[in-house]
Amino acid sequence: MPELRHPGPARAFRPSLRARMTLLYGAVICASGVALIGVTQLLAPGLLGHGVQKAGGPDLPGAVTAGPPTRVPPTIGPSAFWSIVVAFAIMAVLSVAAGWLVAGRFVRPLRAIITTARDISASNLHRRLGVRGRGDEITELGETLDHLFGRLEASFQAQRHFIANASHELRTPLSAGRALLQVALADPEPTVETLRATCEELVELGDQQERLIAALLALAGSQRGIGQLECLDLADITRDALLARQEEAERHGIRLRAALAAAPVTGDPSLAESLVANLLDNAIRHNLPGGQAEISTALTTAGAAITVSNTGTLVPPDAVQDLFQPFRHLGTQRTRHGEGHGLGLAIVRAIADAHGASLTAHARPGGGLDIEVTFPLTSAAQRANAPDVTAQLTKVPYIKHANPVA
Amino acid sequence: MRVLVVEDFEPMARAIVTGLRREGMAVDVAYDGDEALGHLALTRYDVVVLDRDLPGVHGDEICRRLAAGRSPSRILMLTAAGSLTDRVDGLGMGADDYLAKPFDFPELTARIRALARRAAVPLPPVLAHGDIRLDPASRVASRAGQRLALSAKEFAVLEYLLACAGRVVSAEELLERVWDEAADPFTTAVKQTMRRLRAKLGDPPLICTVREGGYQIGEP
Repeated sequence: MPELRHPGPARAFRPSLRARMTLLYGAVICASGVALIGVTQLLAPGLLGHGVQKAGGPDLPGAVTAGPPTRVPPTIGPSAFWSIVVAFAIMAVLSVAAGWLVAGRFVRPLRAIITTARDISASNLHRRLGVRGRGDEITELGETLDHLFGRLEASFQAQRHFIANASHELRTPLSAGRALLQVALADPEPTVETLRATCEELVELGDQQERLIAALLALAGSQRGIGQLECLDLADITRDALLARQEEAERHGIRLRAALAAAPVTGDPSLAESLVANLLDNAIRHNLPGGQAEISTALTTAGAAITVSNTGTLVPPDAVQDLFQPFRHLGTQRTRHGEGHGLGLAIVRAIADAHGASLTAHARPGGGLDIEVTFPLTSAAQRANAPDVTAQLTKVPYIKHANPVA
Repeated sequence: MRVLVVEDFEPMARAIVTGLRREGMAVDVAYDGDEALGHLALTRYDVVVLDRDLPGVHGDEICRRLAAGRSPSRILMLTAAGSLTDRVDGLGMGADDYLAKPFDFPELTARIRALARRAAVPLPPVLAHGDIRLDPASRVASRAGQRLALSAKEFAVLEYLLACAGRVVSAEELLERVWDEAADPFTTAVKQTMRRLRAKLGDPPLICTVREGGYQIGEP
């Protein structure tokens, strides 16, 4: 990542904050001095001129206090005028100097922040400004920036971790394919059968890589956000997805039970399909032989919800959230599944986030997971469907207890 | 030579096992850490080919336990983590050798053979006894300059007997060292292999049968 350096020329044209603060300070002091003299002259016209007129000598305006009562015409002699100007100039210089010092004091922490912030780049994001002090706005600015750097660092780390994992997952089937080929090539007496077996293994490994790449693209697509918004029914999507997976569930010896009530949502159709598909795949693939999965959709007060509960291996409650991170498997899982690539639940979470849907997951006491995704009620969906849906729900025409498929 | 392959990715495990068996090694396979520890508790392996990133007990932990228990098994770490730090870490925790994936299969077999030579008594790369010469790497055995056409098991039995350098070896020991866990303990495979091997070695007889079913190479 290229480092962003602020180019110098901008500073050549514009005075620094310190200079501007000093000028402002000096200007305010001088203006108030002028105003003070003006107001004094207006209100007490003789005050400035009295002593000077009477003595006609070298006395400074300070002599005014020593003089007799003010009964003298209010005119200011030239020397008195110059005295005022000199005093005024001294005061102006002093006030500018004081302003320069004070402004420097204020700006110094800012300068420290700027220097450190410029040094921080992708390679040393662990550095912090560490502004400590009085709890004023500058400290607050420093702390806010530190929090920002913290979030950036976490996000960079997650990204690096993800890339490392993704490349590892992509390389594993490649290494296995290479080993398979080398073993086959070194076979002194190859037969059609052994070569065919090798080819089949290689095709399977290729399929696995394709699935992984498709899942990576799906994850990237869901993180990019929603494309087109449409009114959808989770029940319809789920029904189609269930039909497509009956055979696979049978093969794994898993009973699927569904209770599908209308659950209208506004969302991206392909993302919503992907969410449902990944939830179902997870429930089927991370299940036990002879296990079951219950799928339901419904419109609740919170919104349209899809719930998937499946039997499976025991999940420690504190490991549930980890399963929604990319490439996280349960540590107890015996072997890497040929089908699972460890991205399904990460995709589910990304799609739920993109739709502003809430996602809750709980470990079941006997093993397996309960996952519920609730889409928020959008006004359009509510207007279009809510009255119908309540009517349908009371009649329950949509609820189907699907026959166990295995 | 008895080898345990610990690898969680099944296609990779299958490829390694097929390749090593063809080289005449007796290979068992474990797909996770717990299974590997189970195997290691039962059998003394010459070489353990160990993946690091394993489900269940981590490969690093297995390596540490073997090193701490002064296991005679040599450990070859075969893993995707191939950076300098990873290799240094792996060797530091007790691995005898380290090979990063993706690897070349001939290199893997050569390294396994090199590790097996580093037994308690170091073995030469080519075993010899009298007019018999046996090269485990090129898989060539000859007697008096005549190349012997041995099967994989016959070769392995001869290799083991030569490595034992005159020590009496029981049939059970041969079964454990040369055959993998799939072998039936009551099989007559050792006897049959020995008969064929003796026939191929020809005269004068090289392998003697000792009382109570032991075998020995050299003079009785």
